[in-house]
Amino acid sequence: MTGFLENFSLGFQIAFTGANLFYCFIGVFIGTLVGVLPGIGPAGAISLLLPVTFGINPVSAIIMLAGIYYGAQYGGSTTSILVNIPGESSTVVTCLDGYQMSLQGRAGPALGIAAFGSFIAGTVGIIILMFLAEPLSGVAIKFGPPEYFSLMILALTILTYLAHGSMIKAIVMAFLGVSLSQIGMDIVTGQTRFTFGIMELEDGIGLIPIVMGLFGIAEVLTNLEESGDLEIFKAKIKGLLPNLRDWLDSIGAIIRGTFLGFFLGILPGGGAIISSFVSYAVEKKFSKHPEKFGTGAIEGVAGPESANNSATSGAFIPLFALGIPSNAVMALLLGALMIHGLQPGPLLIKQRPDIFWGTIASMYIGNVMLLILNLPLIGLWVKLLKVPYRILFPLILFFCLIGAYSINNSTFDVLVMLIFGIIGYLFRKFQYEPAPLVLAFILGPMLENSLRQSLLISEGSLWIFFTRPISGVGLIIALLVLLSSIFLKKHRQIIAKMS
Amino acid sequence: MKKYDRVGGLIWTILGILLCIGSVQLRLGNFNKPGPGFIPFLSGAFLILFGLILTLVTFLKESGEEEKTRNEKIWVKENWKRIFYPLFALFGYILLLDHVGFLITTFLFLFFLFKLTVPKRWTMPLILSGGTVVLSYLIFSVWLKCQFPKGILNF
Repeated sequence: MTGFLENFSLGFQIAFTGANLFYCFIGVFIGTLVGVLPGIGPAGAISLLLPVTFGINPVSAIIMLAGIYYGAQYGGSTTSILVNIPGESSTVVTCLDGYQMSLQGRAGPALGIAAFGSFIAGTVGIIILMFLAEPLSGVAIKFGPPEYFSLMILALTILTYLAHGSMIKAIVMAFLGVSLSQIGMDIVTGQTRFTFGIMELEDGIGLIPIVMGLFGIAEVLTNLEESGDLEIFKAKIKGLLPNLRDWLDSIGAIIRGTFLGFFLGILPGGGAIISSFVSYAVEKKFSKHPEKFGTGAIEGVAGPESANNSATSGAFIPLFALGIPSNAVMALLLGALMIHGLQPGPLLIKQRPDIFWGTIASMYIGNVMLLILNLPLIGLWVKLLKVPYRILFPLILFFCLIGAYSINNSTFDVLVMLIFGIIGYLFRKFQYEPAPLVLAFILGPMLENSLRQSLLISEGSLWIFFTRPISGVGLIIALLVLLSSIFLKKHRQIIAKMS
Repeated sequence: MKKYDRVGGLIWTILGILLCIGSVQLRLGNFNKPGPGFIPFLSGAFLILFGLILTLVTFLKESGEEEKTRNEKIWVKENWKRIFYPLFALFGYILLLDHVGFLITTFLFLFFLFKLTVPKRWTMPLILSGGTVVLSYLIFSVWLKCQFPKGILNF
């Protein structure tokens, strides 16, 4: 316990330095900004800012990038409630009752309960993360290459299972991601693979241009093709503080959403989107008046908004405890850790307590900042919603260009980003989800190493993956998930429909 | 979507075949000592397998009225125009950046896109693009010390 308290206070000492407070604020501010704006998400924003963090120390970098992730969940609800367009995919469900409340002149309490629910869930989520990550990393130290291989296979399988729409397409995306990760120099033999004589490809394709292309450029192109400008919100927002009745209606939903969201957030691919939908379904089931859902029920806003925030804390568990990212944003954070010379994995918490505890402590502070940014300063974001998309999109494209260029000061990366932007646009059109590709791209080299090392240990026997208990259980679960997708097709269709 | 899935499945299959051929050339190794082509070969093989499944599944599905309308909606000529110009601008930016320099290329890129959205006015696109160039130069080049091509202006 003493060690825990020492680490906890170390975390706050780090987070409370002037520079880290500044980076935390920048992170949550940009997070709220991209959350409010429907055209760009946290993955795009993080990849955009990743090159900017090269010059700062790793703790500050992770504090800022993490802030973007959980900040986006706060901001996303504002757009959902006020203009009925989800700022983030995880706030789609908030539109259902949030916008109805807005139409009834209750936008204030809807925004208020979304912010308070997010704050409570975000804070509780961090507490659970704090208590779970360290013991889990202690267990993970005993993992060898076969265990890692199986866990990564499990992560990819669950991600493809939870993907929207066709699971076959999601699996294709995952294998495409693994294939792309093979481009460049083989670290064992030093032989170059699939570079076609292009020197820039010898170090492999960069993660940032791929993510910026697939999530940033592709999103802009899709938006340009599909829609005109956002509908401007004209009414004045008043009474942001929910009344006693609102609190009584919401508190159960907030508590349920918090725990549900956190544990669904740990699952690969589960994250904020699924948890918000599940929370809405649970609240409707628990409610004495399910017929009120969809007509402006405050618990329909409180539950999902709490769930998507605590899910973001849950998603940090596999990253910090195992070094395995559970979604595209976590994959980027993993990339950020590696760029800063850190080795993500179970030893990270022990070897670099400043990174883990500093980030945890900054998340408490970040949540307080977000509460202030999203309640008293809500007017600022409402004003932002009035900026037409035709003005915003050239700026988003420009920031993508700068971000991609500044990684290596090379136009080759910009070209890669543009190519993946066009590919990503086509993926969206033909209903292929890019998230499994990104995760597989990140996991590809790790997957290859652990497979090669396992086979070296076992002298070529594949049984090593089944005879070691954790690895065996991981692979069996992955197999069950695959089989269940065939037998529970209907269930998958429901998830797809909800998403 | 059925038609597109069929073509998509075939594309993945062909890509998988090419990947397998490339992997064999790299040297596959064996289970005792996997070579550099081992994992790419496995990825290629799975791409072939799932590409074929994707194609085959389309033959098993019955096409409904809904499918037909969806197919029609995928490509709308008018919508194409909206993304063609930004793509043109992006390609232009990549081509010009190293030769002409950051300041001029960025200004031209932004001005082109802003002008496209407000065709009748000149002052607003000029102010917006000029302002963004100056601000981004101060933030990225002066403050964050990012290195951008100087080009013909030499700064």
